[in-house]
Amino acid sequence: MAETEALAIAGSWVAAMLRSSTPLMMVTLGETLTQRVGIVNLGVEGQMLCGACVGFAVAAATGSPVLGFAAGATAGLLLSFVHATLCLGCDANQIGSGIAVFTLGLGLSSYFGRSAIGGKVAGLAPLADNSFADALFVGPILTQLTAIAPFAILVVLIAGLWLYRTRTGLNWRITGESFQTARALGIRPLLVQAQGILVGGLLSGFAGAILSVDYTQTWANEMTKGRGFVAVGLVIVARWNPFLVLPVVLLFGLSEAATLRLQATGLTLSPYLISCLPYLVCLGCVIIVAVREGRIGGMPAELASVFGRRR
Amino acid sequence: MSAAGSIRIIAIVGGSAAFLIGASIFLAAIGRPPLATLSQMVLYAFGDSYSLSESLVKATPILLCALAVILPARLGLITVGGEGQLYFGALTGTAVVIALPAAPMVVLLPAMLLAGAIGGGAWSGIAGLLRARCNVNETISTLLMNYVAVLLVNYVIYGAWKDPASLGWPATMMFPPAAIVPSVFGTRAHVGLIVGIAAAVVLHISVTHTRWGIALRVLAGNRKVAAMAGFSFVKQTLLVMALGGALAGFAGICETSAIQGRLQAGISVGYGLTGFLVAWLSGQNFLRAIPIAILIGGLIAAGDALQLYSKIPSASATIMQGLLFVAALGASGLAGRGTARHG
Repeated sequence: MAETEALAIAGSWVAAMLRSSTPLMMVTLGETLTQRVGIVNLGVEGQMLCGACVGFAVAAATGSPVLGFAAGATAGLLLSFVHATLCLGCDANQIGSGIAVFTLGLGLSSYFGRSAIGGKVAGLAPLADNSFADALFVGPILTQLTAIAPFAILVVLIAGLWLYRTRTGLNWRITGESFQTARALGIRPLLVQAQGILVGGLLSGFAGAILSVDYTQTWANEMTKGRGFVAVGLVIVARWNPFLVLPVVLLFGLSEAATLRLQATGLTLSPYLISCLPYLVCLGCVIIVAVREGRIGGMPAELASVFGRRR
Repeated sequence: MSAAGSIRIIAIVGGSAAFLIGASIFLAAIGRPPLATLSQMVLYAFGDSYSLSESLVKATPILLCALAVILPARLGLITVGGEGQLYFGALTGTAVVIALPAAPMVVLLPAMLLAGAIGGGAWSGIAGLLRARCNVNETISTLLMNYVAVLLVNYVIYGAWKDPASLGWPATMMFPPAAIVPSVFGTRAHVGLIVGIAAAVVLHISVTHTRWGIALRVLAGNRKVAAMAGFSFVKQTLLVMALGGALAGFAGICETSAIQGRLQAGISVGYGLTGFLVAWLSGQNFLRAIPIAILIGGLIAAGDALQLYSKIPSASATIMQGLLFVAALGASGLAGRGTARHG
C-alpha cells in the first residue's frame, strides 16, 4: 500500500518536473547550438518573449496550438536575425547586441501583446484521458503531460546525434573551436554561425510558445521571467553538450516543481522568497561548474574572446 | 582628424540616421505620422521647463546606472546588474528608515543614502567576488541577481514592511519628511542628479589622471603584465564592482525617497537596462554618458507623455530604445570595420 502511494507521488513529481522544464529544454538547447558555433546570444530572453506573445496570439486566434508553436518559433527566428546581422554583418559586440535584441523583444512583446492579455487558448490534449488517471506511476504522467514534452526530448536527442555524428555537425563544432581552421577546411564559418544563431532563435521562440500556449495558457508581460538568461547559465552547466542539456534542465525543473509543491503544502514561507530559488539554483550550478572548470572543460574555443579566459 | 575621431563621427551620423528610419517605420506601422510624432516627442522631452525637469528626473537613475556599467567596463567587465543593484539599494536604504523613523534629518538622510549605496555595492560586490575568486562570468551572475533583488523587494513590501494603513496596496509606510531627498531648482529633479554628474566627473578624472586609472588600463589589457607591475585583478574587480553597484544602489534609494516617497513595486522602469544602453552609446566614457543619459531620459519622459496625451502605450519607448541600441551598435561596428579595412 505504501509502495503504490510512493509510486503515485513519484509519478506526479515526474509530470510536474517535465512540464516545467519543457520550455527551458528548448531554449537551452537552442542557446547550446548557438554557442557551439562560437556565438553568445543574450537576446534569447527577448526572442522567447516574442515567441510566447506571437504564439499565444496565433493559437488564440486560430484555435490551433500547433499553429501557435509554429508562429512563435518563426517570431523567435525573425528576432534572432537582428542578432545575426549585428554580430556577423556589422562586427558588433555580442553581449551588447544580445541586450539590444532583448530590449527590442521586451518592447515589441509588451506593445503588441496588450491585445492578447486575458485571452484564452486551448492547449494540446493530454497524452491520455482521465480513465488512465489511476494507473500506477504513469497515470499522472500521461494525464498531465501533452505531446510537447516527449517531442522536446526527441528534439534534444536528435540535435545531439546530429551535432556529434554527422558531417554538418562536425562543421559546426569546428567553427566554434577555430574560425581559422574552419576556413582552411573550406567551411564558410560566417554562414555556419548565421545558421547557429537562427536555429537558436527558432528554438527560443518555440520555447516561448510552449510556455504561453501549453504550460501557463495565458499571456502576460515579461512572462518568461528571465528563463532565457537562466538558459544561458545552464548552457555552461551542461558544458555545451546537447545530451547533457537533458539532465541539467530536468534537475532544474525538479527544483522548480519542488518549489511549487512547497507552496502547495501551505508552508508559511513567502512565495516571493520561494520564487528566488530557480535563479539561485542556476547561479549555484554555474559557480560549482566554474570552480571545477579546469577539470571538466568543453567550452568552444571561439567563445573565449567573449567569456574571457581564466587569468 | 584622427582615425578614431572619424570613426566616431561616421558612427554617430549613421547610427542616428538608422535610428530615425527604424523609428519612422515603427511609428508608421502602428498608424502614427512618423515625423509629427517624432517632433512631438522632442517637445515632450525638452519643450518647456516642466518637460525638461521630467526628463532630468528620468535621466538621474539612468546616469547613475550607466556609471555602474562604465566603471567595471574599464576593467573589461560587462555587467548588466544595474536593475538589481538599484532594487537592493532601495531595500537596504529603506531598512534604515523603517528602523529609525523618528530620527532627525541630519542623522536619517545620510544614514539612509549610505545604506542604499552600501546595499547596491554589496549586491554588485557579490558578482565581483564570484568573478575574481571563482571565474564566474559577471554578465550571467548580474543578470540572474537582478530577478532575485526584485523578488526580495516584493517579499518585504508584501510581507513584514507592508503598511497596514495602505489598504492592501503593497508598499511600506510613507517616508517621514526627514528621509526625503531634497529636490533641486524648485522642480521634481533631486540631489541624485547632482551626485551623478559629480561622480561622472570625478570618475573621469580618476581613470584618466591617476595611478588607479593606469592599473585599470593595464589590467584590462594584459593581466600577466599587470601582475608583474603589482596590480591585483582580484582587488580591482571587487573595487570597481562595489563602487559601480554603490552608485546604482544610491539611485535606487533616491528614486524610493524623492520620487515614490515609499518603497513599492515598480520603483524602476528598466533604468538598469537603459543605463547599460547609455554606457554602450557613450563608448564607456563617463563624461559622454551625462548628455546621453539626459537624451534617453527625454525619450522615456516623452514616452510617458505620449501615453498620457496621444494614447500610445509606453512600451513604445522600450521599442525605441531597442531600435536605438541596434542602430548604434550596427553603425559603430560598420564604421570601425570600414576604417580598419581601408586604413
